[in-house]
Amino acid sequence: MAILERITRNIDNRFWDPGSEAFPVKNRYTAGMAGQRFFKEIKENGKIFGSKCQSCKITYVPARIYCERCFERLEEWVDVGTEGTIYSFTVVYKTKSGKPKESPSIIVAVKIADGLLIHRLNGCSVEDIQIGMPVKAEFKPKAERRGGIEDIKYFKPL
Amino acid sequence: MSKRVAIVGIGYSGFRTTSADLSYREMIFEAATKCYEDAGGIHPQSIDSFVASAEDFMEGISIADEYVPDQLGAVLKPVQTIAGDSIQGLASAVMQIKTGQQSIVATSAFSKVSNLSHYEHVAAYATDPAYIRPLNEHPYFIAGLEMNRYLYETGTTREQCATVVVKNKYNALANPSAVYGAKITIDDVIGGPLLSAPLGVLDVSGHLDGAIVLLLASEDKARELNDKPIWIKGIGWATDTPNLDSRIEGLGTAVYAKLAAEKAYAMAGITTPGNEIDFAEVDDTFSYKELQHLEALRLCGPGEAGKLLELGCFAATGDLPVNVSGGSLGVGYLHEANGLQRVLELVLQLRGEAGKRQLSGVETGLAFAWRGVPTATGAAVILSNRP
Repeated sequence: MAILERITRNIDNRFWDPGSEAFPVKNRYTAGMAGQRFFKEIKENGKIFGSKCQSCKITYVPARIYCERCFERLEEWVDVGTEGTIYSFTVVYKTKSGKPKESPSIIVAVKIADGLLIHRLNGCSVEDIQIGMPVKAEFKPKAERRGGIEDIKYFKPL
Repeated sequence: MSKRVAIVGIGYSGFRTTSADLSYREMIFEAATKCYEDAGGIHPQSIDSFVASAEDFMEGISIADEYVPDQLGAVLKPVQTIAGDSIQGLASAVMQIKTGQQSIVATSAFSKVSNLSHYEHVAAYATDPAYIRPLNEHPYFIAGLEMNRYLYETGTTREQCATVVVKNKYNALANPSAVYGAKITIDDVIGGPLLSAPLGVLDVSGHLDGAIVLLLASEDKARELNDKPIWIKGIGWATDTPNLDSRIEGLGTAVYAKLAAEKAYAMAGITTPGNEIDFAEVDDTFSYKELQHLEALRLCGPGEAGKLLELGCFAATGDLPVNVSGGSLGVGYLHEANGLQRVLELVLQLRGEAGKRQLSGVETGLAFAWRGVPTATGAAVILSNRP
């Protein structure tokens, strides 16, 4: 058992590039019962909803239909408002392909009730951002909303 | 169920940034050949069962199970594939022996990430399609959020994170298998380009190709195969919530590490890990992760890791050497094979075969692996050269 011969020159190495034919599969991801209603509230009413677990005393944001801790059904939907506080933030300098961005984006984890909404921050310079800072969701105009997380344009300081 | 299990063979191949000459199956074949030779020249026909750790997409393939058996000599044998870190695969192998189902089990892991043009797209595809993916960001923004929160909660400094990079890259200089070894300064790390601030490019471990195969045996077989069996004292794994929106505790604290380690400590009968563990190989995918993990593993108190690092406690010459191999920052990032790379270092140290970086008088070591962004899964194993 051993490899007795070796390729010793790069020009001899062969590889297979499946190119654009590699993965012609398109797939869908359904938002589900909770996601559908959560995004509908954003799209139609500009409201952010959580769902409350009575036994764990936790309000999930975004809303869900079951509690990940006690596994109970969550039936109480709560309008949690459109404001929260910065739980953490980061300044992203590279694109997904690893290239430098023309201007870095600020990504924030916004604590609303007991959940974290992950989104962009705008209207604030990097030096002024602080954990604990209050922020508010800025929605797209109603006509441009499509029923997704991008219906929120960004968060901005209060 | 009280059967003891030992590692009786180790083999590895690659540990290079690119490896166009061998297919990944040939790399595993090479590692397996070395491993079986290390275990007294055992033929794979005498091995009862095989466990491979592999994840889809990473090698330009899907349903990795179909690609497993031949390179291990496992055709026509019981084979199991674990889509997780290789310490989770190791746990499965240990259980197969502990139940008495099998006596000799091989476990493998590999990375051939150089086959991918954009690994980040694969990692980004693992984030939530409805809530996270539409932001279309580099997936390491999650590490940036974690790092900032960890620094905020513990008072750990940016400089202390950079010190992890300096230490591990320096340790790697004494490891012939480590390709990212370097003598750099804290200023080099902090002054370097930023990725997802405060996380800089040098805070991130670089990708590596490699394959690792280990052979495990029950106590009665172990000494026949190797006169230096290394005993598995405890093993555990755990997952925090996969939902970023629920990581209120998990953004700043490595909850999964705490839970995984407590399982492993309980199995090993360890109550004060700081006193009972002689050295550790701990996930350092990102600089801050090493410190966050050391605290979660109770190898120091909460918020203490940065200060102890500055005092030299985690250096190769310190009270508790951490990542003397160089860790992922120094050796390179082997994806699902990271866990076995850390286990490999423990075995070499506990056998006294670690060459220039050999620690003196070590009996018990801990390896801890995290599955990387965007996961919250970790696995811990405790090894000893005493049964």
